Amino acid sequence: MKKIQLAIYALVACLAVNHVQAQNGVLKLRLDYAPAMPMGSFKTDITNQAAWRSYTGDLMYYINDRWAVGASSGFQDFYRQYPRQVYKGSDGSDISAVMTYSIQTVPILAKGEFSLIPGTHTVKPYVAVGVGGNLVTYRQFIGEYDNDKSKFGFAAAPEAGVNIAFGPWASSASLNIGAAYNYMPFNYAGINNLDNLAVKAGINIPIR
Amino acid sequence: MTKHVVMPLAVAVLLAAAAGCTKQPLDNLSANDTKVYITNRDSTANFSSFKTFSITDSVAVIRNNQLNVKTITPTDSTFIAAVSAQMQQRGYTLVQKGQSPDLGVSLNRIYSSSTTVVDYGNYWGDYYWDSYYWGYPGYPYYSDYVGVYQVTDAAVAVDLVDLKDAAASHKIKSVWSGLIRGADVINQSSASADVQALFAQSPYLKTN
Repeated sequence: MKKIQLAIYALVACLAVNHVQAQNGVLKLRLDYAPAMPMGSFKTDITNQAAWRSYTGDLMYYINDRWAVGASSGFQDFYRQYPRQVYKGSDGSDISAVMTYSIQTVPILAKGEFSLIPGTHTVKPYVAVGVGGNLVTYRQFIGEYDNDKSKFGFAAAPEAGVNIAFGPWASSASLNIGAAYNYMPFNYAGINNLDNLAVKAGINIPIR
Repeated sequence: MTKHVVMPLAVAVLLAAAAGCTKQPLDNLSANDTKVYITNRDSTANFSSFKTFSITDSVAVIRNNQLNVKTITPTDSTFIAAVSAQMQQRGYTLVQKGQSPDLGVSLNRIYSSSTTVVDYGNYWGDYYWDSYYWGYPGYPYYSDYVGVYQVTDAAVAVDLVDLKDAAASHKIKSVWSGLIRGADVINQSSASADVQALFAQSPYLKTN
């Protein structure tokens, strides 16, 4: 039993080892697969289906062992098709149609990240927030007839996750796992927002 | 240096590729799913007050808001027969137009070779069935519930006008209109089903 405990301690020590290498001034590229689940009125009014075609890319500059700043972008593809039903038109008409929503978002955010554990630990949990704009392409199809709207609006994305380095922190790639709440106001055709919760998994690659 | 250019470029390419993966709504629509059935009514009309109807013996073909021709193809005949059958199923009696029908029923094929708006205000203002056809020469047509629909392809329109009260009001009032839009609507094999769908969303259209 004592041997097992020692082995666990040794493993934890290995994972949490402080690398001697400094991490100041490291530029890293993060690529995540980030499927997103609609939230709030976006979920109840438009689609309750996850966007499986969703990706993010971050370019982060690690100022020191706790703080990083950079830019983030990505792509989300929300889609929902409702079977034929009768809708009430604004002019009082009755409209029977198959209704399809196709919504793409491309957020472009300035991002700040704070590591919860200082130093160069192999496992580094973090919190981050991105603030910026969001290019939305909204298409509502009534049968084959579409109603298009493209807008650039505000977006913010608080995020939490963990980086697990494959080797020395500054020079090695790392696994990234996290979740971000994408706050995306979008006022059009009775829609208030495109808020969604994205679960992220990907890699961090040091590029300088 | 090359690395610094290549990596952001790779991100841009990946995002562009992701955007190219957008699920295309029209690829997931069957020919039937493309169809849209629009009906509207005069909210003051009492449809049970009408007992008889007469239907046009041909179809007006309207191209880019201009009457092109009145014709009777096998497909037109099928549409006329289907509309007549629906009216009779709802309790209305088919009579000749010289027998003072309560309702006049007309069919139009609407085509537009460019993106134009068919304004139903103009549609009724320049109605394509002369009031003489119904035995009320010189009486203007009018409608209280007209809408505006964008038409970029073919559509079939069915209109019901009030002939019972025309003599008293000196007007021929529209009481119900239906529009069938979508891929391949001018089709003999689907005409009956399309007309049935159009009438199915107007349960109030009956004699009792």
